[in-house]
Amino acid sequence: MKWYVPLAAACVFLSACGGPSGTSEESEAAATPPAEPTGLLNVYSARHYDSDKELYKRFEAETGIRVRFRESGAAELLEAMKAEGDKSPADVIISSDAGTLYRFKAAGLMQPIESDILLDRIPEHFRDPDHNWYGLAKRLRVIVYDPARVEPDQVDEYADLASANFEGEICMRSSTNIYNLSLMGELIDRLGKDTAEAWARSVVANFARLPQGGDTGQIEAIAAGQCSAALVNHYYWVRMTQGSDAQRKSVEKTMLSFPQQDSWGAHVNVTGAGVAAHAPHKEAAIQFIEWLATEEGQFLLTTETKEIPLVAGAEMPEGLDRLPPDFKESVFSLNKLGENQAEAQAIYDRAGWN
Amino acid sequence: MNTYTAIRSFRFRSIDGPALLAGLIIAVPVVVTLLAGILNGGGEAWSHIRDTLLTGYTTGTLGTLALTALMTLAVAVPAAWLVTMYQFPGRGLFEWLLILPLAAPGYVLAYAYADLMGLMGPFQVAIREATGWTARDYWFPDMRSLPGLAFVLTCALYPYVYLTARAAFVSQSVCALEAARSLGASSARRFWQVALPAARPAIAAGLALTLMEAAADYGAAEYLGVPTLTFGIVRAWQSFGEPAAAARLALVLVVIVIALILTERHTRGRAGSQQSSTRWRNVSRTRLPRWAGLGAVAACALLFLATFVLPMSRLIWLVMESQGQIAPIGRALVNTLILAGSGAALAFVLAMVIALTARQSGLIAGFARLMASTGYAIPGAVLALGALLVMGYLGITLTGAGAIIALAWVYASRFTTSGAEPMVAALGRAPASMGYAAESLGASPLRRAVSVDLPVALSGAMAGALILFVESLKELPATLMLRPFNWDTLSVRANAYATDERLAAAALPSLLITLAGLLPVILLSWRLSHSRPGDTQ
Repeated sequence: MKWYVPLAAACVFLSACGGPSGTSEESEAAATPPAEPTGLLNVYSARHYDSDKELYKRFEAETGIRVRFRESGAAELLEAMKAEGDKSPADVIISSDAGTLYRFKAAGLMQPIESDILLDRIPEHFRDPDHNWYGLAKRLRVIVYDPARVEPDQVDEYADLASANFEGEICMRSSTNIYNLSLMGELIDRLGKDTAEAWARSVVANFARLPQGGDTGQIEAIAAGQCSAALVNHYYWVRMTQGSDAQRKSVEKTMLSFPQQDSWGAHVNVTGAGVAAHAPHKEAAIQFIEWLATEEGQFLLTTETKEIPLVAGAEMPEGLDRLPPDFKESVFSLNKLGENQAEAQAIYDRAGWN
Repeated sequence: MNTYTAIRSFRFRSIDGPALLAGLIIAVPVVVTLLAGILNGGGEAWSHIRDTLLTGYTTGTLGTLALTALMTLAVAVPAAWLVTMYQFPGRGLFEWLLILPLAAPGYVLAYAYADLMGLMGPFQVAIREATGWTARDYWFPDMRSLPGLAFVLTCALYPYVYLTARAAFVSQSVCALEAARSLGASSARRFWQVALPAARPAIAAGLALTLMEAAADYGAAEYLGVPTLTFGIVRAWQSFGEPAAAARLALVLVVIVIALILTERHTRGRAGSQQSSTRWRNVSRTRLPRWAGLGAVAACALLFLATFVLPMSRLIWLVMESQGQIAPIGRALVNTLILAGSGAALAFVLAMVIALTARQSGLIAGFARLMASTGYAIPGAVLALGALLVMGYLGITLTGAGAIIALAWVYASRFTTSGAEPMVAALGRAPASMGYAAESLGASPLRRAVSVDLPVALSGAMAGALILFVESLKELPATLMLRPFNWDTLSVRANAYATDERLAAAALPSLLITLAGLLPVILLSWRLSHSRPGDTQ
């Protein structure tokens, strides 16, 4: 009957000691650590891909700098860094959304860095004008459609999704998703708030079902015939072409359309990185980001995710040849995605897009 | 002793100190949230939430509660009647199997069912492959909808009503039923006109529990995409960063919960003395004829399969299919043990204080008990908000030990009452003369509590500790809001993987949570099958 006494005591003891301070995702990347670690680097990443662990290992092996990383949601990392203040161990912040990178910058959690390598390799519109963050890989938010029911010219603009022709034909994921927020962030700037909101309302009126699932789920819904068009990031579609049998079967029933080719170009966003405001290892941090802009870094960053490398001449991940060889992408101040984020959510809410 | 004389004769005794402290610890989070909701302006986000989202949240919560109530009653009461009144093959087995779904939290069932019934789930794929149809050529129930949410919550929570209804049917006065039978009332008529009215207070109590849990649900509503108030509270805090706006929403939710409690009290009050004969005899079960018996077996089996076997098998299948390609959850397991352990430890102490002071009923002890049962009714998201606000006022950040303490506090505030109950029951079984003897020998109330009542209460302590631990481990919204940075628990991991479309990765922590949840449920079942009816009389 007294079994709980040691249990309770152990719990109190463990919590008094603070317990382990890490996460399931946190670990030291070095499976085979280099003989002489010459430095340390703490990465806070809002990405969660197994290939990133490989990437950290390779950087370690090549530079001798030990990488420790924390992976968590972007909002959580932001709150944690605010709470840690100038004692934060973070050196590098990685996020898969430019709007989020802007929020780190706006909260004073990043510092500008001067790097000729990055300035040279990263196109201007993919980096922060104040040099706080640098884009490293890009992705496009495009229209996926059912070629059996839809002609390509019926889906060559984002505005087409709001057309009355598509009543009951549109599938979408939730508006709280960052990809949808960032797209709206651009639409607000391009079209103005009122037109952007009218667009959202008309898209909602065309919903075949309540917003649900992720991007893969939208592609599957189109393949199963539940709806005929949706918005997805290009890489979910590419990954499915290399996925399980069921996924390949689904994805081959659909096609991608890169919108706005005759106007401003398809909505583009980046995975990027910046150096933390109070980085204890600033030099290593800059070295790491510069390494991500090398051919090897670019390859490791995109090989699993199927994002598109930003550095000219970098090897394309396998499967990207399924995309059109030539397309026009939007040239746009990506910081605006962050500035417009709250407004974007408010517009979706008013439009009834859950 | 009525309240008036209790107040008149009140004097502070040694035992009141701990009771008062326990009551206050439990009460602070909800009181702070409510005060913040009333006094603070609600912030900038509030006007947006009020104008565009509040109606949807409120109708979402009310609709879910109404539909869950209907479905739960329709399933749980007949099931309880069947296993209590009739004899059919496997009856004894079903009697306790039907409690097992209580082990799985609503969000776990939501993951399993959304996948099973989804577009790419086995049923729909089979339909399309067999017929060559597309998804728009046939109708299929959509789990990602309000009815889907109510269905999932019914699966997870109907055992509360099943348990209370069964207890009421078992302990009902057989005389009334036999009188009805001798007067020629049909079986259906005896159920509707005799047994059901008598069991109404018990059913209402079970239903109130069900609906409190349904109102507190965050994970299932979020995953199935149904906007509810609890979802809105978490989102107001997470996306808008506005605790003040979240507190306003919490206010609305608490009003709904209070309305539930009052309705339940009202039902109980009206049906107080329906039992004219309390003479005790075992209900004699009617043996069902062959075909009716098979029908009863089929009904019970279907209920158990649908609410437990089917969803759990799907999760197990997902784990097996992924063949070890699953993200490791060892760290999350350790974090869960520490956080749920801390919560259970604090709640255990409070539960013990409440059980012991309740034994020597007084005004303060009554207050502490009331606070504990109120805390249970308040959704975890609301309590977490209160703890967040307190931490904010004190300038404590959610990084280390502060967050663990806050989370343990919220667990304790919410669950203490469920841990206190087994101990109160253990004390209730001991003769009252033991306490009187101690008093007449000159023992102080505190001394009596420690040396006479404490050893007795400990016999209910194992059950209490187990329930506290498992309840804390299953909790999602408060854990999501308060856990220290990088301290993902099993429930948080399951939620993160599921929303990230990595269902196979979500399945393993979900199964572990359910497995832990089975422990207290099996304990409960065991007691049920070993207790003789009439014990509680």
